[in-house]
Amino acid sequence: MKKLAILSTLLVASTAFAAAPKDTLVYQWSSDIPTLDPAATYDTGSGAIVENLYETLLTYKGASISQLEGLLGTKWTVSNAGKTYTFDLRKNVKFHSGNAMTCTDAEYSFERMLVTNEGSSANYIIAESLLGTGANANDDKTITWARIDRAVECNSAGQLVFTLPKTDPTFLARLAYTGFAVVDSKYAIGLGEWSGKEADWKAWVGKDLTNSKLDKAPSGTGAYKFVREDANAFLATAFDGYWGKKPALKNVIFQRVDEIAARQQAFLRGDADIIEGGGRATDTAQLKGKPGVTWVDDLPNVAATALFMNQNITDKGTLGSGKLDGKGIPANFFSDVNVRRAFSYAFNYQQYITDFQKGAGKQRTTLMPDTFPGYDAKVKKYTYNRAQATAYFKKAWGGQVWKNGFVLTAFYRDGSAAAQTIAEILKREVEAINPKFKVNVSAKQWSEMVASGNEGKNPLISIGWAPDFADADNFMYTFYSSNGYYAKRSSWKDASVDKWLEQTRATTNTAERNRLYSLVANRAYEQASHILIPAGVNYSFFRDTIVGAGKANYNPMISFTLGTYWKELSKK
Amino acid sequence: MFNFIVRRLLQIPVVMLVLSIMIVGLTQLLTPEQRAAPYIRTEQQAARIEQIIESRGLRDSFPVQYGRWLSSTLQGDLGYSRASGDDVIDTIRERLPATIELTILTAIPIMLIGIWLGTLAALHKDKFLDQVIRVFVVFGYSLPTFVLGILLLAVFYAYFNVLPGAGQVSVLNQFALGDLRRYTGMLSIDAMLNGRWDIAWDVIRHMILPALTLITVLSAQIVKVMRNNMLEALTSDYVRTARAKGLSDRVVNGKHARRNALLSIITLAGFLIIGLLGGSLITETIFAYPGVGQWVVQAALQTDLAAVLGFAMMSAVVVVVVSTIVDILYGVVDPRVRFD
Repeated sequence: MKKLAILSTLLVASTAFAAAPKDTLVYQWSSDIPTLDPAATYDTGSGAIVENLYETLLTYKGASISQLEGLLGTKWTVSNAGKTYTFDLRKNVKFHSGNAMTCTDAEYSFERMLVTNEGSSANYIIAESLLGTGANANDDKTITWARIDRAVECNSAGQLVFTLPKTDPTFLARLAYTGFAVVDSKYAIGLGEWSGKEADWKAWVGKDLTNSKLDKAPSGTGAYKFVREDANAFLATAFDGYWGKKPALKNVIFQRVDEIAARQQAFLRGDADIIEGGGRATDTAQLKGKPGVTWVDDLPNVAATALFMNQNITDKGTLGSGKLDGKGIPANFFSDVNVRRAFSYAFNYQQYITDFQKGAGKQRTTLMPDTFPGYDAKVKKYTYNRAQATAYFKKAWGGQVWKNGFVLTAFYRDGSAAAQTIAEILKREVEAINPKFKVNVSAKQWSEMVASGNEGKNPLISIGWAPDFADADNFMYTFYSSNGYYAKRSSWKDASVDKWLEQTRATTNTAERNRLYSLVANRAYEQASHILIPAGVNYSFFRDTIVGAGKANYNPMISFTLGTYWKELSKK
Repeated sequence: MFNFIVRRLLQIPVVMLVLSIMIVGLTQLLTPEQRAAPYIRTEQQAARIEQIIESRGLRDSFPVQYGRWLSSTLQGDLGYSRASGDDVIDTIRERLPATIELTILTAIPIMLIGIWLGTLAALHKDKFLDQVIRVFVVFGYSLPTFVLGILLLAVFYAYFNVLPGAGQVSVLNQFALGDLRRYTGMLSIDAMLNGRWDIAWDVIRHMILPALTLITVLSAQIVKVMRNNMLEALTSDYVRTARAKGLSDRVVNGKHARRNALLSIITLAGFLIIGLLGGSLITETIFAYPGVGQWVVQAALQTDLAAVLGFAMMSAVVVVVVSTIVDILYGVVDPRVRFD
């Protein structure tokens, strides 16, 4: 007993009661950090860090996603009918290594992206603009060194010049992407990265940079520089040689804590300033309103989710009988607009918002964020209406659907509660309309879903999209064009829509682009191209000692959970 | 004895080879798309799945894929782990010492508590003390590790704040770790060797809760086996003979009964240590303890093949080495066992 008392005393006496220090930002999360090389960064975990160690030519102005401002690029001019962009680069900028940043570094950085352009990287996004294709030189033999070299050059005045093969109104928005940052070329070459010369470019084509030398020892121009990374912690410290305003927080620590309960305890004790939450329901119940916690709600959500109704199902195994005989569906079941409208009216949007999103959800008119330029709030949207759904089902396929019924399978991504809920709501509502209607709900693994989706095998599936850059094109073309990434998921093809979307890519006139996007949105409503799933409302929470975070500073295009760069934060 | 050890060590490459063929062979049951999944985190990356499959040779035949893995392994390159964001070999080098550290802290108390309580329970069979110990055994056996871990965190960290929470070292000491010269990779020991007793104490305090979790759960297994062994030994002929010779209870119980009861405990201890060195998956995950267990959980969840293979190779070495030590100890405790 005596020994126990002594031990307890010793433990208590030595307790640090270590609330996070005032000059240190402590963030606990469960993500891994796959890479610290910007040219391989294509996930939130890496992005949240890379965006603070490195800098891009352009960034978003405060919380705006439509206004860009210079970061390493101070001024730019557009010429040659929107095909040439000339950037003045910021002077007196130093890398963490001590090297001065020059135009050569910027040229090297972009050429490195175009040369490597490995499949899991984001480099295809910049390649699309600069080379007219998202492919690398292994996949597209027309890509030569000369073509890459011509796309990005430094002129005699030390300006960075981009030469595009054709007009691209999204180019500036693309440049703000975290991964398109300027790296320290001298330092990188010294570490053993690509030499930046034609001599060895071929050897680097398609190379995965996730585990590159720069990943191990990054050197950017950002306000924070890398200190150390070990199994469970990432450490950065304010860079004394930063060209901008000196950050208020000296240190930043990311601690990996997989267990949500452990994170919550650390957060409530003040040992962590910010943590990765467990979803709205959990966070509201466990953390909202607790002492020392600041809760910010109604934040913009820049993801979009749709239920795809595939008009050309290529997997016979999902069709049952393959006929409208009550035992299956034909492969082109959804090609009848009446079927699509019926399903659009049958989905209970409000129930999804109430039950799954806990009231924090919003229906949109188009498959793009309502905060993006080009979003038209006046476009009509479908509402849950069983009478209308019934009416359209009766019209569909000349009355055959109503008379014979059908059996179809709705797939969802295994592990996604949202996707499962969507499929189950639809099943219940559709089956309630006519006892002959049967919707089976089935889970698919992520990889399987991707593969089958690319081949157009899924009859009905819900999929989301998060933006790479803040331009409507990133959503509208993706979802609605028959050349877009999701074309095979829905097999929806509309000649007018295709024409309008190509026109949006050929003009830099914002008003004209917005007009065309409205046309697309109205047409998509009229044709019931997809079922638009309500978007959740974002929120964040942090210790009340944090200053500089909140709605006014929240930019959804920034990876870090507070939607702001670390350099904007301080603690009281 | 020497020949026996050499023979055992020669088994290591054979075990590793068979194991690697089995694991790589099993992965061939997955489609190339499923094996490409670890490289895909976003829809955008999914769009380029074919390029990912192509660039990694995931459609190549099994012999080609295995040959590629074996060739790089023989050059000391176990591949890149997506889960740790580092080379597999570097990940093991970084994380194994932390697991060994936790093993050192827990293995001895597990054995001592297990043997002591097991002996006590047997000597007080069906009495109050035996009942209490049996309740502890049931508690240790039945309480899931993650429940116990979270419970200990809630009590000692969140409520009383007498012990630190998750992690291996406090925030205040995180930056100082970079200045430490590393000798063993075991943070508490290295801190002591650097004269940083404050950090060493901090690290040890961070290990108390995970250790307590493991001790509670694992010593219960030793108690149960030890109790049964002791009960069997106490009714054996040689114990009866020892009592008839007029030896004291202490000598009979300690020297004659307990020594024989310990034989199977050595084997069990070997298994426990193999388990601990393989990483305490759930405990390390809950307490954000940076050992191999935490890593392998992440790797398994991400279908990180390189990591799983690397972990299997490491486990093969651990199993063979620990089994050899256990067999040698057997020979020491029981002179009837001979190796050569």
